[in-house]
Amino acid sequence: MIPVGGGKGGVGKSFVVANLSASLSRMGHRVVAVDGDLEGANLHTCVGVPRPRTSLADFVAQREEDLGKLILDTPIRNLQLIAATDGNFIAAQPTQSRRVHLMRALRELDADFVFLDLGAGTHAAVMDYFMVSDEGVIVVAPEPTSVENAYGFVRAAFYRRLRLAMASHDMRKIVTIAMDQRNERGIRTPLELLREIQTLDPSEGARFVETMRAFRPRLIVNDVRTAEDIKLGFSIQSVCRKFFGIEAEYLGYVNHDESARLSVRARRPLIDVYPRSDAAIYIARIARKLLANGATGESREGSN
Amino acid sequence: MKPLSEQNHYEILETRPTATKAEIERAYRLALATYADDSLAGYSVFSDGDAAALRERIEMAYRILSDGRMRSDYDATLEIDREADLPPSEPSAPLVPVEGELAESTSPLEVAGAAHLDDESGDFDGARLRHFRIRGGLEIDDISRVTKISPTYLRYIEEERFADLPAPVYVRGFVTAYANCVGLEGKYVAASYMKRFDQDSRGRRKGRFFESR
Repeated sequence: MIPVGGGKGGVGKSFVVANLSASLSRMGHRVVAVDGDLEGANLHTCVGVPRPRTSLADFVAQREEDLGKLILDTPIRNLQLIAATDGNFIAAQPTQSRRVHLMRALRELDADFVFLDLGAGTHAAVMDYFMVSDEGVIVVAPEPTSVENAYGFVRAAFYRRLRLAMASHDMRKIVTIAMDQRNERGIRTPLELLREIQTLDPSEGARFVETMRAFRPRLIVNDVRTAEDIKLGFSIQSVCRKFFGIEAEYLGYVNHDESARLSVRARRPLIDVYPRSDAAIYIARIARKLLANGATGESREGSN
Repeated sequence: MKPLSEQNHYEILETRPTATKAEIERAYRLALATYADDSLAGYSVFSDGDAAALRERIEMAYRILSDGRMRSDYDATLEIDREADLPPSEPSAPLVPVEGELAESTSPLEVAGAAHLDDESGDFDGARLRHFRIRGGLEIDDISRVTKISPTYLRYIEEERFADLPAPVYVRGFVTAYANCVGLEGKYVAASYMKRFDQDSRGRRKGRFFESR
């Protein structure tokens, strides 16, 4: 299962999810794309399902217990969808226990790849979904707002993991303090927090390092126009390593392409309408890379 | 995860000790761009002086590594350090782009271990239980609320402080409830965990036996 987040809205998360899904399904893999954005569902449009009959909202509202029954076919062979339309605006997000239930049901879906398209922001619900994998994907666009939010997202995802990993109440409290960007202890980055915790409690420090090593977010830069934009992925990787102590993996980039916009307008994946466009080729390259990494992912999920 | 002050020149440039001259050149140019004051990737993370201090380190690293003789002298001093505090499991991954292309290589570091962790079969120890708890987004207290088991015991289970846990029959029940709560097959997990518990308590009994003689 691959959660895809990024903090900022409008960077092309749904576009990337729809096209990576379509790309992998064209290669013969069975893919389920899940729209996890109950408050701003649009993945269905990107994969060419104009009016979904059922939606994740039915599971959240407990109208349907079998997640498998909410799977919809798309016009693309091997690609299925769980939409997120028609949610309840007052209680869109599932309760914590319902979320655990949902995560388990998602893991049990019968597919080679399950993509989970997350909403914007770093709300608890979004971060919980991102937690299903240590290797979730973050989509970033080469613009300051997106990069800032992406760092916020990485930090939030890591601190959340960390808070769960810490055994002592006091250390959990320090992590919570550090989560506030303007905290009075002056902790700005995960590395600074590590130093603090290592001094206070070495065994918690060891747990910290273990959590840090396991967390390996993956990065896609979308809407790339220049060589500088391409390098942005490497630069973010370097900053994550040097300032956060977090190893991110740069999965690849998708270049700016007019046909991408046209495909969204046509309400179909780019891979499907313009398979020979530049952006489609870059997406296929990322899909192949996921596949190469997925050799271990498959054996992981294969036992379910 | 060494602080910047302890990183060697190769780590500062994020390249490997076997890098070619061209690779060092590329790494240097990328590092300069990344740590420029107005760098898109950095401005929101750097605070006053961060970038300037790093640039100084980068320049120094480049000055030495780009000069054949200075580099081999430096490498000689590094040999000792490397054996002392560079664990072999932490290679400094060379991740500098190759002219407009992405480096295709993906580092397989720790992926094998993670695969073992996420699989729901296999043996279960405290660390794996914790892994599944975290993956489910649950705190110890959440599990305690559902299972009515004290947080202290739940923590001992994760930390495998077997000596501090009550009689096996209780521990088995605790682990079953814990596992069910994080979405695992309780019975299976408990059976696996109890093997470790029993092994340990046998060891401890033997120890006591010898002590008392």
